[in-house]
Amino acid sequence: MASADKPINTDVPEKDVFALHFLQSLSNLRRQNTFNSPEKTNDRVKKIKKAAYVSMARAAGGTSRLWSRALLRRAAKETNKVVRFSRRKKRVTWLRRRSNRRDPVEEEEKEAERLRNLVPGGGAMETSKLIEETAYYIKCLSMQVKVMQCLVDGLSPK
Amino acid sequence: MLEGLVSPENLSLSYADMSVPERLKWLQQHQQQEVLSLSSNDSPDLLQILQFHGSNNDELLQSTFSHFQMVGSGFGTNYNMGFGHSHEAMDGCISRTSSCQIHPPDTMGVMLKNSEENRAISLKNKRKSEVKTREEEKTEKKIKVEAETESNISNKEASSDTSKETSKGASQIQKLDYIHVRARRGEATDRHSLAERARREKISKKMKYLQDLVPGCNTVTGKAGVLDEIINYVQSLQRQVEFLSMKLAVINPELELGVEDLSVKQFQAAYFTNFPVVIASKPSVMVDVPLFPLDQQGSLNLSVSNPNQTSIDAPSESWETQSQSLFASVLR
Repeated sequence: MASADKPINTDVPEKDVFALHFLQSLSNLRRQNTFNSPEKTNDRVKKIKKAAYVSMARAAGGTSRLWSRALLRRAAKETNKVVRFSRRKKRVTWLRRRSNRRDPVEEEEKEAERLRNLVPGGGAMETSKLIEETAYYIKCLSMQVKVMQCLVDGLSPK
Repeated sequence: MLEGLVSPENLSLSYADMSVPERLKWLQQHQQQEVLSLSSNDSPDLLQILQFHGSNNDELLQSTFSHFQMVGSGFGTNYNMGFGHSHEAMDGCISRTSSCQIHPPDTMGVMLKNSEENRAISLKNKRKSEVKTREEEKTEKKIKVEAETESNISNKEASSDTSKETSKGASQIQKLDYIHVRARRGEATDRHSLAERARREKISKKMKYLQDLVPGCNTVTGKAGVLDEIINYVQSLQRQVEFLSMKLAVINPELELGVEDLSVKQFQAAYFTNFPVVIASKPSVMVDVPLFPLDQQGSLNLSVSNPNQTSIDAPSESWETQSQSLFASVLR
């Protein structure tokens, strides 16, 4: 349990990387034939959202982060909620089990549960790692939001 | 800093209780030597000190100090963590011991017992049991002040033992880095609570980092409130992504999109030529992500209509204007 403290490294790549990935994914999406039909807007929304998350995961460092891996895996399987729960059942590491055994009553663990539901791949992480991943996830999310906002502003009709 | 602390203690000490604080002073000086020459062997200095003060209880002093000397050389590796902690405690215990009388033979006996225990444990080469004995000695309250000083010394011993192990095993095993958590007074000192305390401290440190990251978390105190804020923030960010993707989905089919490979590559080429520009004007770390509307996007409305505009208007908006102009040109 006792391990040396490494400084928390949350350097997120610049906006450009995110923008590049997102635009690539968007252009890939547009090449699909069924994409531009005006009827199925909901499908399009979902696809764009998925593309946004996947491109964000790729831009943020591919598989070097737990949550990005979880996102990519989720996108590959094309299911939304089932994946997370099954992963939690399968992959509870011994660290996670020990912390569960000790602090199920604490306030902090309840909050951590909510956080785990939000951050992708949170079910397999211990609380300290979860917090680190959350920080990185927040940075990447805000980056992605900025990129998308730029796009929308640029493309919106005057 | 250490020298300034040592000198007043020297003045206030009486000669009757010179045994234990004197030992602590030697420890401090020993630590100073460690600081100055991080991994060198300080045996000649220690032997000089031993010879100089070999007046009473020679063997006991020498035995304990030879033990220190054995492990002291390995102290350098865990310099950062262990030194800081034991340094603080050393000040505290010196200030406590200087004011009271201690019977020399009792201290010697107890010290010898503790050092022998620690030596035996270090021979066993187990880090967990060291932690345990450290705490066991901590909870012994025969002589109150002595317990503190001894535990502090045995803490140093234990920490230097572990550090010696790490320095020895550093070549073989790479992951043996220990956090030296000091058991404070009045707290439970068994192994589990100690590990849990270390874990909680790690978590609180990371939460502080998160608190700096999320805007508006400074006012709320307590872990629960901060976590609530963070959860709300993450949820709002995710909702923003969803909303923006909806907007994009609505907007995109209205603009005739016929993107081929060539245009994407053109976009990439043009994009990468602009890299030095973008890097020069990179925006700072996003501490504040305001909700709609974003302030930086104020001057973007001219980009779509002027696809040829590649000049840099302002450093913070250059990226957006260029990307928008390029993207628009790609679309056309």
